[in-house]
Amino acid sequence: MNKSINTFFALTMLILLSACSSLQVTEESVSNQAVAGVSISQKSTATQAVLANAVVYFEYDQYTLTSKSIQALKGVVGLMKRNPKIILSLEGHADERGTREYNLALGQRRAESVANYLIANGIKRNQLVSKSYGEERPLSLGSNDSAWSKNRRVEIK
Amino acid sequence: MKKNILLSLLFLPLACFGELFLEITKGSDDPFKVAIIPFAGSEKISKPLNEVIRNDLNRTGEFSLLGTKLLLPLIIEDGDINYQDWSLLGMDYLVAGSILQGQSSVDVNYDIYDIQKRKKIRSSKVFGLPSQIRQLAHYTSDGIYESIAGIKGIASTRLLYVNEIKSKKFNSNYRLMLADSDGANEKTLLSSSEPIISPAWSPDGQKVAYVSFETGLAKVYIQDIATGKRESVLSKDTQISSPAWSPDGKYLSLTLYQDGNAEIYILRLRDKTLTRMTNQFAIDTESSWSPKGNKILFTSGRSGSPQIYELNLRRLNSKAKRISFEGTYNAKAAYLPNEEGIIFVHRSRDGLFHIAMKYKKENFIRILTEAKMDESPSVAPNGNMVIYGITEGDQSMLAGFSLSGASFKLPAAQGEVREPAWSNFLR
Repeated sequence: MNKSINTFFALTMLILLSACSSLQVTEESVSNQAVAGVSISQKSTATQAVLANAVVYFEYDQYTLTSKSIQALKGVVGLMKRNPKIILSLEGHADERGTREYNLALGQRRAESVANYLIANGIKRNQLVSKSYGEERPLSLGSNDSAWSKNRRVEIK
Repeated sequence: MKKNILLSLLFLPLACFGELFLEITKGSDDPFKVAIIPFAGSEKISKPLNEVIRNDLNRTGEFSLLGTKLLLPLIIEDGDINYQDWSLLGMDYLVAGSILQGQSSVDVNYDIYDIQKRKKIRSSKVFGLPSQIRQLAHYTSDGIYESIAGIKGIASTRLLYVNEIKSKKFNSNYRLMLADSDGANEKTLLSSSEPIISPAWSPDGQKVAYVSFETGLAKVYIQDIATGKRESVLSKDTQISSPAWSPDGKYLSLTLYQDGNAEIYILRLRDKTLTRMTNQFAIDTESSWSPKGNKILFTSGRSGSPQIYELNLRRLNSKAKRISFEGTYNAKAAYLPNEEGIIFVHRSRDGLFHIAMKYKKENFIRILTEAKMDESPSVAPNGNMVIYGITEGDQSMLAGFSLSGASFKLPAAQGEVREPAWSNFLR
């Protein structure tokens, strides 16, 4: 085991069983672990000027597109065809219910659903970057159906 | 050792320290009755030391400590224990100790007596710096717990958790925190304006792994606690999340999104070799290792809803086996330290999320918590306590319970607190 430089005392532990049955005798020094904190000031890099700004919403636990989302995406397809050089970021999100890692994966699936629709409609894969924030960046705070339905989304930007 | 899960309500608000405030909400219904004669020494040391020892033992829920006022007339002279008197008081055990202060060190000596058997069962000494009073007290209470309860104590272990301080317009500050198991001695390991999730301990307690969104994309980092040195575990340009250390510390299981879908991989840290463990159209994530390191648990959506699967790592091409069947949402599972069962997040029929446990030898699950959105259970290394995240009103905080039925809360002074991770034994 890699002994920490910061262990002020080496850990010693003696367990002696005395002759007169079951008396436990121990001697131990308390260890002291140093802690160094790190601070990150860097913000995630802002993407290009906003060309498309659409949001599509999803049902609870689902990542399939609704007919309403498809309407919104038709506009995005048109825009991308007129601007074949732009790269769009598809950012998936989930509502707060369920575990954080599963929601991260669910957000990613939602972003992929949007990507797959756009690709099926002639957009190139390399024009799309899909990622997820899971439940970490809610649009609407609050624990009710209305807030949750706003948070289950893919932001296209 | 397993006592009844249902217990009497015992409200014992305790002193607060650090940024988390420990509040014991329930005790066990069949506790060990113990008298602790306050350890004598200079008040500056003896007061906090005695307080921390009592709080540690109270928090386990398995101890009923005799009130200090009742102890005054019962002084021990020359190590002569009047077993008859202690027995009449209904005590099972007696603890007596002393504090010896040197120039730059403090020694704590204590003895434990079994009243029924009329004999001394332990004689111990812990020593350290005068600045380490809380640690000395934790080591002492762990010794007392071990001798009486028969399993190792966890007062000297530590917790990791995420703290989010929300401010107007989404400029939250996220912090990865380290604290003693009672919430005291809180330290910031990482502070960032982007989310931090999924903290995990290395088995030796020297390092942490976590997911940070600082680059705009979820990535797993490993950070050395003492030096603050940190690195991104893989230079791949893909989302990486859900780190879990193998029990020998040599591997990290991870979720990679390189095909656009969450799949589980195992990374050998020595040479960064990646081995793919799942290959499925559905989501696979939240891996965790068995105590022996021969199996992993993970959450998969392959059946149409999140369920828990187990994969044997020793058998070549073994297939993942589904092990959760009740309900439509079972996730984030971890093995109990003795592998007697698993603990996980379960969605009940009313749509609420609870912490649940399933023992191997039982064919039903036990729902252990009753708030609305309970999440992220983490089991103490002695297997006897669980800490997890709850939401009360719109405030998230940590709560815990022991398998003997005691429970406690650790509300934060500031912001939201969630995703606790319990360290291994650190002594």
